Amino acid sequence: MNYGALVFLGAFVAVSLSWFGMVLSPQVQLGRQTQGTNSVNTAELYPVQRPGLAREGLEVYRANGCVYCHSQQVRQSGTAVNVILTDAGTNAAAAADALMKSRAGVTDANAVGLSAGLPKAILTDVDVDRARAAVEALTSAGAKAEIEIVPVGTDIAWNWGIRRSVAHDYLYDSPVLLGSLRVGPDLANVGARLPDANWHYRHLYAPRSVVEGSAMPAYPYLFERRPIQGQPSPDAIESKDGFEIVPTSEARALVAYLLSLRADVPLFESPVSVEPPPQETADTNSAAGTNVVSPQASASAQ
Amino acid sequence: MDPSLLNAPEADEMEPKKDVVPVWLIVLMVMLLYWGAVYFDRQGGWFSPQVYAPYRNLEEVRAYQPGGGAGDLFELGRSVYGQTCVACHQANGLGVAGQFPPLADSEWVNEPEPGRLIRIVLAGLQGPMTVKGQQYGAATMTPFAPILSDQQIAAVLTYVRQNADWGNKAPAVTPEQVAAVREKIANRSQPFTAPELLSISPAE
Repeated sequence: MNYGALVFLGAFVAVSLSWFGMVLSPQVQLGRQTQGTNSVNTAELYPVQRPGLAREGLEVYRANGCVYCHSQQVRQSGTAVNVILTDAGTNAAAAADALMKSRAGVTDANAVGLSAGLPKAILTDVDVDRARAAVEALTSAGAKAEIEIVPVGTDIAWNWGIRRSVAHDYLYDSPVLLGSLRVGPDLANVGARLPDANWHYRHLYAPRSVVEGSAMPAYPYLFERRPIQGQPSPDAIESKDGFEIVPTSEARALVAYLLSLRADVPLFESPVSVEPPPQETADTNSAAGTNVVSPQASASAQ
Repeated sequence: MDPSLLNAPEADEMEPKKDVVPVWLIVLMVMLLYWGAVYFDRQGGWFSPQVYAPYRNLEEVRAYQPGGGAGDLFELGRSVYGQTCVACHQANGLGVAGQFPPLADSEWVNEPEPGRLIRIVLAGLQGPMTVKGQQYGAATMTPFAPILSDQQIAAVLTYVRQNADWGNKAPAVTPEQVAAVREKIANRSQPFTAPELLSISPAE
């Protein structure tokens, strides 16, 4: 018997079903993502196109195979909900009363306890409905409270990111360098947790000079050893015996790319509470402090 | 030779025995299919691009947004504005001269009662109108009654009316106010015109 038509039909159905499942449905689901203003606490646009040097750096990242040991995706296993009381209001006793009568499940609130040491968490790691009930009760009693959202998970505990990665984070990446192995740490948010370019140069040139026991290979060919002529270069990572080691344009591009990797904007689809944007004075302080790598930041680079 | 054997069918030409699929298997398949559909409905987020694990559906993502009681509506409004209104009225709320009127510092937006604004968003607006002394009307506003929920309309109006960056300072709009107006103009199919809106008391 001739089964040709049946075989053809079977193959056709198998190919078209996988096309629907693996090409069309992701396109329908995620294909229309655009740059948005839907970050929760700020009105800034997210994500932004990487600057030109950082886009060159992406090519250096690909060429050197960084993606074989580094992923760029932060995972999240759950979410902790806290209720932060910022203002007990004029009548703390009424607020305590309202809190106890609400569905929040609070049985031991009192006026003195509520009004001392604000702002503070009055409920930690509760069900989100209970948290909403508590905030509603406190607001109706004239107090001010807000819900704090804290993503939890191993990656977040390792300080690799503050929230999970979502499709929006990769809007301008081509190709998306998600990575699948984690010989090294995740880099989805490396620009925010290690913001010092000099640290990155030293780390690329000699990883174990800044991170003890690092398994990363050194990339000395991204640097140039040259005699000091006149003034020493301001960005030399080392100078000795009339020679200095300076990053090549490839190293500069790669570091610009690494610093542009940040996923610390709260998005609707990945909610997280963040500190309000720093004031002017705080800005200058943090700018002056960028050359100092905190012990915690170096430890998290492991 | 037995003559009856001559008439008997040969072994390889015998009709195959027809197996009937047992009823219990069909019932099991239907139950599994039903369970799968219910599971998908609850956990799948209906392919929404905004639902990621550990959240299961859009309501849950919304419930987990940080912030305070009244601040919530404002922040929800910011995202609704960013998805819906920004194309015409612009991110800075200044609109486009001659076509899309400004929302920033507009006397229509800052009316103490939101009745007219809710009507504009629900049923749309066409024809000339004057905002801040300038003529607009080259474009028609879309009716959003079928697109946005009461909560979303209340949120976006609250965002627009309380946006200090735009110089607006008017009371918030509640979902109940939107629901009340929606009921009153349920039979309406035409967009409003500016003179018609001005003939309606904003408190209604």
